[in-house]
Amino acid sequence: MHTEDSSKIPRRTTRSSASTIKLNNAVDSIGTNDIDPPKLNDLVFGENGITFDDLLSSLPCRRPQILQLIRLLGPPNSPMVPLFLYGGASTGKTSVILQIFRHLKRPFVYSSCLTCYNPRILFESILNQLFLHRKNAGNGYSSAKRCEKPADFIHLLREALINVLNKLKEKSMKLRSSSGRMIYLIVDNMELIRDWDKSSTILPLLFNLYDLLKIPELGLIYISNSSLDAYYTITGFIEPIPVQFPNYTEDDIRQIFMRNQANPTMYSSFLDVVLGPFSRITRRVDELSTTFSLLYVKYCEPLSSVGIVPSKEMKQKLFSHLKPHIASSLNNVFRVASPHSLDVEASKGKAKKKNNASRLVHSEAFDEIDFHMSVAAKYLLISAFLASRNPATLDASLFDSTGGSDNRKRKRKNSEKSMERKETTEQEVLVKGPGTFPLERLLAIFQCLTTVSECSFDEDQQSDEKLKDKDLANNELMSDVLLQLSTLCNANFISKGGSCPLEGSCRYRSTISEDMALKVARSLKFPLAKYLYR
Amino acid sequence: MGRENPAEDALILLRSRLCNPKIIFKSISESPDSNYSKLKFIISSSVTESCNNSVLLLGPRGYGKKAVLELVIEDLLVEHPDMISVIRLNGLLHSDDNCALKEIASQLCVEHQLLFSKMASSDDNSQFMIAILQECGLAHKTVIFVLDEFDLFAQGKQRLLYSLLDAMQSVSSQAVVIGVSCRLDADQLLEKRVRSRFSHRKLLFLPPSLEDLQRLLEAILSLPTNSSLPLGYVVKYNEKLHSMLSDQRFKEIMTKLTSFDSTVNHLLRFLFIAVCDMNMEDGFLSVENFKTALSSIQRQPKLEALQDCSILELYILVCMRRLEVKEQDSYNFNSVIKEYKAICDSCQISDNYARSHCFRAFEHLLQRKLICFVDNRGHSQSVEFRPVKLLISFHELSEGLKSYRSCPAILQKLTVRER
Repeated sequence: MHTEDSSKIPRRTTRSSASTIKLNNAVDSIGTNDIDPPKLNDLVFGENGITFDDLLSSLPCRRPQILQLIRLLGPPNSPMVPLFLYGGASTGKTSVILQIFRHLKRPFVYSSCLTCYNPRILFESILNQLFLHRKNAGNGYSSAKRCEKPADFIHLLREALINVLNKLKEKSMKLRSSSGRMIYLIVDNMELIRDWDKSSTILPLLFNLYDLLKIPELGLIYISNSSLDAYYTITGFIEPIPVQFPNYTEDDIRQIFMRNQANPTMYSSFLDVVLGPFSRITRRVDELSTTFSLLYVKYCEPLSSVGIVPSKEMKQKLFSHLKPHIASSLNNVFRVASPHSLDVEASKGKAKKKNNASRLVHSEAFDEIDFHMSVAAKYLLISAFLASRNPATLDASLFDSTGGSDNRKRKRKNSEKSMERKETTEQEVLVKGPGTFPLERLLAIFQCLTTVSECSFDEDQQSDEKLKDKDLANNELMSDVLLQLSTLCNANFISKGGSCPLEGSCRYRSTISEDMALKVARSLKFPLAKYLYR
Repeated sequence: MGRENPAEDALILLRSRLCNPKIIFKSISESPDSNYSKLKFIISSSVTESCNNSVLLLGPRGYGKKAVLELVIEDLLVEHPDMISVIRLNGLLHSDDNCALKEIASQLCVEHQLLFSKMASSDDNSQFMIAILQECGLAHKTVIFVLDEFDLFAQGKQRLLYSLLDAMQSVSSQAVVIGVSCRLDADQLLEKRVRSRFSHRKLLFLPPSLEDLQRLLEAILSLPTNSSLPLGYVVKYNEKLHSMLSDQRFKEIMTKLTSFDSTVNHLLRFLFIAVCDMNMEDGFLSVENFKTALSSIQRQPKLEALQDCSILELYILVCMRRLEVKEQDSYNFNSVIKEYKAICDSCQISDNYARSHCFRAFEHLLQRKLICFVDNRGHSQSVEFRPVKLLISFHELSEGLKSYRSCPAILQKLTVRER
């Protein structure tokens, strides 16, 4: 059908790719022509700068840090000792420094160790920005220079810096209102370097960059979550100047949330109610903002129009309406609602209008698992949980042909010794964690459980035809099992432990909690409690 | 415009002085028995007498080893032009032998205007180096090898050190090897065969005395009268500076600073922060600048991190402290939660939160490095089962609780009770 196209295209093509291939070529050529190569001006943040007042108002409660940073950066063309910004998460370190640079209109190069997850990518990202090189389809998404070793990095960095500084000097001699002769290098998320393989060489290298390069027109700024004392090594390094970003206090958080609110008085009465209890758990702005946005919607539910100024009785009514929701959403502080759970909440909300409102507090315990798993996967998960939880010696008695439930009833020792033993085993379970098991044990337990469930299923149904299909069904189930096991491993429900040197096979460990196992068992109507060793 | 500019220019001048350590060390290296003169004597005698030499410069970080070395090399290059070529290697970058040989070869090529090929193998590079050393020896040119972070070169097989020191043993070569290290036992790290070829000359760098520091301060902070700044402003500034340096409060600040850390580098950072604080309207330094600089450089990061914690996180820290007092050797998140629930039940606390919150608070504490895992290898276990330990002491914890705003009184009682 499309043979006339296929003669031009050297590779094998499917019908759909053959029909769209002309469009792609067009897009590519537009792409490389339209995007200009980056210029020196691109090193300065954005087109329009912001005034000092805008800077202070867009970053509330950070006035002392902003003033300190501007003083340390100093007037244009003044050399600088390296700076180290540290503070908890979402305290505004990155935004403050980037907005300051936007205000001061000085060129800088920014790279974060979150996106550059190994030394080569970090080095190449910094060099690409300095060489004014952008990766696009034209150059095959390659960097300007390939750089893996620290020695090459220092050479290339020196070359690139001298290049850029010369260009900046020429520009400053021609224009009066130029961006100065200095260039700044910002490295963000330094704490992630500690987890890299080569962290013992990369960290001292980055901290000593100023001394290694000896270029006074370079300013270095490091940003990190943890303070400098977490970076100390045996041989040490020259310490940069620390600037701390303390966490926001309650008043600060209130000020931040009150910005850009459509109805300030309503929101402030809402904050009076919720800010206290929630800030006892966490004071991080990002975690609080997800919960507050949901709760505010609930808070405003009984109101007819959005723009009312609440009176005192109205505030009382709204508070009593919101109160049960606070308790339940305290448990959901860190969860961003998925669409499924929102629907579930909505349907529950309608049902709850009939029931007691206090039931909401306990509804969490009876939630179902909110993702889909096949029946085989659920049985496999339960078998893995039991294998991790119970010692191997009990398997014979628990999983005999009758399902094992009869035997348990005979063991009834209520002596003190057995109680003590139970306590110590519980303690051990808490401290040591789930045990490991080999694959054969898992499959044996799985077989037992599925035959037991098939048996009970058949007894309920009392149909003879099923008996013939039972063997076939079992075989089909078996071949699925190994696939399901690898899926569960990928989903981190089962983790692979090290391999035993004697046996040579690998051991697994189940990582789900008892609550989750109970939920899965409940969805299968499987009596998990009978099989747990206590 | 009129008054701003001299202050700004003065600020830029002071800042560039503080960022350039060479100028600093020049002023304290005048005396004849300082390390500067000794080092100069060693190197210049080996240059003039055409002999080989090796020396180690040892001292903690920030004591000016590299700065003094650079000063000596600069002076020698002026005194004996064309007789010295300098090769600089750094242990952080070139500890791998192949890398180091490549770097030596490329620097030698640059010095002697030869073309350097990146494809040369390490054998080629080492033969080239030996050949150049021979040629330089015949031409009475000395090659100075500067090895920064010397202790990092002494890791592994020390092939580079051996080949360098071995090349120096031949009659026709003229080389000086200078090692700079912050480990005072760097020469103990050398292998036997390397150590036997090494002349055991060590120069120890000690912290400057108080008088030296005083002279240094004056030298750094005074403005020169022959610069482009207006003379009246400079004279007034120097007068004010002089009166401030003899002020009692300033002397107290200096004693506090030097008793904490007396390295020159630390002093320079302190001065940098103080200078940045300079009042831009009248352009003079005052004692308040130095006071704020002192408080911003002497920090207590763990106490700051404790102030940043939320109340639930403080509860978890107190529970961990109680577990430690009960002499439980290793405890994990589950044991901490058990303790927390026990406290909540016995003391009827209203801050009874669910397990998922406590887990999140636990993760925040891990991020902030107030607690950490005992071993870094147990990655196969989930976070709840890995043993953890506290990274702050009891004293820091109780200090933090005392200075925490609106700390529940029960927390302080819980920590104190089990002393």
